[in-house]
Amino acid sequence: MSPIAAPEGRLPVCVVTGFLGAGKTTLLKRVLRDPRFADSAVIVNEFGEVPLDHDLIAASEDMLISVSTGCLCCVVRSDLTETLLDLARRRAAAEVPAYARVVIETSGLADPAPILHALMADERVAAGHRLQSVATLVDAATGAAVLERHPEAQRQVMLADRLLLTKTDLAPVPATLETALAALNPAAPRRVAAHGEVDPEWLFAPGSLPAFLEANARHTEGVASIVLEREAPIPALALTLWLQGLVEHCGPRLLRLKGLVALAEAPEKPVALHAVQHLLHPLEWLDAWPGTDRHSRIVLIGEGIPRHLPARLLAAIEAEVRDS
Amino acid sequence: MTPPELRDLISDALALWQVPGKVRVVEGRVALAAPDGTPLSVHAAEPADRPIRWWLERPGQRRPCTSVLGLLRGLRNAVGAGEGEARRARVALPEA
Repeated sequence: MSPIAAPEGRLPVCVVTGFLGAGKTTLLKRVLRDPRFADSAVIVNEFGEVPLDHDLIAASEDMLISVSTGCLCCVVRSDLTETLLDLARRRAAAEVPAYARVVIETSGLADPAPILHALMADERVAAGHRLQSVATLVDAATGAAVLERHPEAQRQVMLADRLLLTKTDLAPVPATLETALAALNPAAPRRVAAHGEVDPEWLFAPGSLPAFLEANARHTEGVASIVLEREAPIPALALTLWLQGLVEHCGPRLLRLKGLVALAEAPEKPVALHAVQHLLHPLEWLDAWPGTDRHSRIVLIGEGIPRHLPARLLAAIEAEVRDS
Repeated sequence: MTPPELRDLISDALALWQVPGKVRVVEGRVALAAPDGTPLSVHAAEPADRPIRWWLERPGQRRPCTSVLGLLRGLRNAVGAGEGEARRARVALPEA
């Protein structure tokens, strides 16, 4: 069994994104030759553009789903949600090999958010799939200029769990690129890949929530990561209302939210929060805290969200809940 | 929530909605002006008014709000910042 097999019976979905020419396909070709990851179904969205659904339909003849060993090769004529469901159905019916994970390679021009939405918003998909990781490839030679000019590339970096710098055999990683990446996503661990070489374990491992949460608040032009910490456990109702309030008022400006929260009703088990824009992933109860630190930590990445707003809103809601 | 804390929260909300304006505390109330110049005022309700917690006032109109989220919703409408994306969240406690 693969070392990152699906927990809880849900299939992990790993998203690989990056701007045009970043080397996604080259990387995946190499990575999927690794016998440990041969049991992967790969969805390639060559022509995908936002919104994803339309693009997948439009590009149906060019969208390939295959297991890296070549055991499965088919053309899909539906959007991503239907594709995943259909693939799962065929897997259950033994019409395709029993793949252990799904890898989605996005178009270079894709904003990953709609893809993550598709994975999180559809209950049928979420029942059988679990978003495991979002890896963004960045071309070391052209990355700084691309990030400066293309908002899609910025969002690919902002939504990543990990960043992989490619083509470093052609050019060293410039300081301007390091600075840009640190500003856009300070929490994402970075690695360098030359000639598409990277440890698949690292590429496909579950996103590291603690690493994300260890990020300090950083600010750049309109984009900020905001860290909210609470020593006292938070009432479940207050957390619910706070999430609703954030989503209501921040809308698409809330790019990503992750957190480990101690609820007043069950402080011994942390609840993990994941949200992408206005979509909140079903809350996940962990068996135990990852370390001795048991205070609530939430990190938001957003565009134009005042840095104190989340904490002030939570404090106001908590006060009302405790006073009711 | 004290009037200065309410002022700070409302200031943040206006910035989020990209509505210009100055928010001040005046005689225990939070005062601001809508972009069209309409004066607005927010203050805490008396305990005897429960479940009303906040009053949002403009000339000739007094709107009761039962929560800070309701207050923000009313304020957003009052300053012409449109409606937010109303969503329901649910926090299910772990099974015992």
